[in-house]
Amino acid sequence: MNKFMEVLENILMPIADKLNNNRYLTALRNGFMVALPFIIFGSIFVVIANFPFLDQWISESAYEAYQAALGPASASTLSIMGLFVIIGIGYKLTEHYGGESIYGGAVALASFLILTPQVIDFETANETIEQVGGVIPTASLGAEGMFLGIFTAFFAAELYRFFVEKDWTIKMPAGVPDAVSRSFSALIPITLTLSIFLIVRIIFSYTPFDTVQNFIYTLIQEPLTALGSGLPATLIAVLLIQLFWFFGLHGQIIVNSVFDPIWYALNNQNLEAFNAGQELPNIVTKQFIDTFIVGIGGSGMTLAVIIGIFLIGRSRQLKELGKLGAPAGIFNVNEPVIFGLPIIMNPLVIIPWLIAPVIVTFITYFAMASGMVPYPNGVIVPWTTPTVLSGFLATGNSWQGGALQLVNIAVVFVIWWPFLKIMDKQYYENENSAEDQRNETVNM
Amino acid sequence: MKHILLACSAGMSTSLLVSKMKEAAEAKGIEAEIWAVAQDKAPKEMERADVLLIGPQMRFMKKKFSKTADEVGIPLDVIDPMSYGRVDGEAVLNKALELMGE
Repeated sequence: MNKFMEVLENILMPIADKLNNNRYLTALRNGFMVALPFIIFGSIFVVIANFPFLDQWISESAYEAYQAALGPASASTLSIMGLFVIIGIGYKLTEHYGGESIYGGAVALASFLILTPQVIDFETANETIEQVGGVIPTASLGAEGMFLGIFTAFFAAELYRFFVEKDWTIKMPAGVPDAVSRSFSALIPITLTLSIFLIVRIIFSYTPFDTVQNFIYTLIQEPLTALGSGLPATLIAVLLIQLFWFFGLHGQIIVNSVFDPIWYALNNQNLEAFNAGQELPNIVTKQFIDTFIVGIGGSGMTLAVIIGIFLIGRSRQLKELGKLGAPAGIFNVNEPVIFGLPIIMNPLVIIPWLIAPVIVTFITYFAMASGMVPYPNGVIVPWTTPTVLSGFLATGNSWQGGALQLVNIAVVFVIWWPFLKIMDKQYYENENSAEDQRNETVNM
Repeated sequence: MKHILLACSAGMSTSLLVSKMKEAAEAKGIEAEIWAVAQDKAPKEMERADVLLIGPQMRFMKKKFSKTADEVGIPLDVIDPMSYGRVDGEAVLNKALELMGE
């Protein structure tokens, strides 16, 4: 067993190292980080705008006016979250190279807009379709544009750096204010970068796809998100998170760096549908993972483990751990449990640790598929939001979301129960025999 | 005055440890500034730290941080998982002091 674990760790550690230190994945993660406050702001207002029962208390027109007044909060943040991610990636990648990062962010944004369709189809009163110019469809700036945005930001920042490093810049004579000379030094690299994207746009306009956005969306993003929204891919992701954590490596940081673009895109599809009053398309989304699978007390849903400790813990070690872990566990921080129980490298708990989240994933998926619990509506609930509240908010203010989390806790608790009991007994006996030995020494 | 920096993924779990370490430092009569940051902030914060301690779950960051730590000239290490799990402020504080060569 030890040998096996050693081999596995030797495989996982370099993967973690590679994924976490890869400059593109790091820029991607940090790019999402830039977007996060805006996404959360928008999410809060979606929750407020759809406050439960409000539509029954006030008149229909008042409710509509209320929703319309709050609408721009999410329309200018959540619905166009791709823009923030793009600026964030361009900024962070350029910063990584030690360049003028604000230009990196701006050039990524402009490049993306160059590739974005700038007409929308408008149905006139006599049912003919007219194309309206001078607009940027917000759909392209949210879920649909997510993948193109990510790639564009990478390429734009790389091209910008390339031209800066080539030193194809305009040099200002000494004595010119620094800010002036800097904006001039960015001129040629930005011009060249944007020209390349403009050429790409023009080339694509002669293809059946019309725009690069359509091309990426149809050929890459749609198949990939369809795959990622399925149960098998989700189970693999969940198992990987657990496996990394078993070796004491931060599973979400590692797995999310690959899955986040997919999960966020699925999330935004739901939000767009929700805001348009249509049926929500996806079960698996960022919130499905964050709120119902890894969220309940932290990775591996250890809130159930803490409850178990309080109910069956006789050993001092477990009781202490319960007291330490509970306050943090409520906010889904569970390192004390993971390292203190310990869960890492502990062959006794590998079974519940790997099995429980898989079963909970099934339960959550089918509870939503069967219509018992509403799908996550795309609102991003911060991962530190306590359980029950987070489930309520993520499913569009419905109590079933919170109830499902309670069911999940109960399931995890039952799976863990026998293993916790064995562990507690071991610790208890060890503590007692240590005590006995100490007493004997004193008596001698 | 000693400056002890802790880093993990979001700076959440290490901040649990920070409060315990502050208690331990106070008990020992050591004047110390102890703070926790998310991994991305760590390289910048290292400039004003005397030592860097990394949460064990982020131990794959050690190689990357070592470079900056060498430049700034501070020691760093990964926190022992057991002390981390027990939120044992005293043990981690001792470790930090040891790294600083106290």
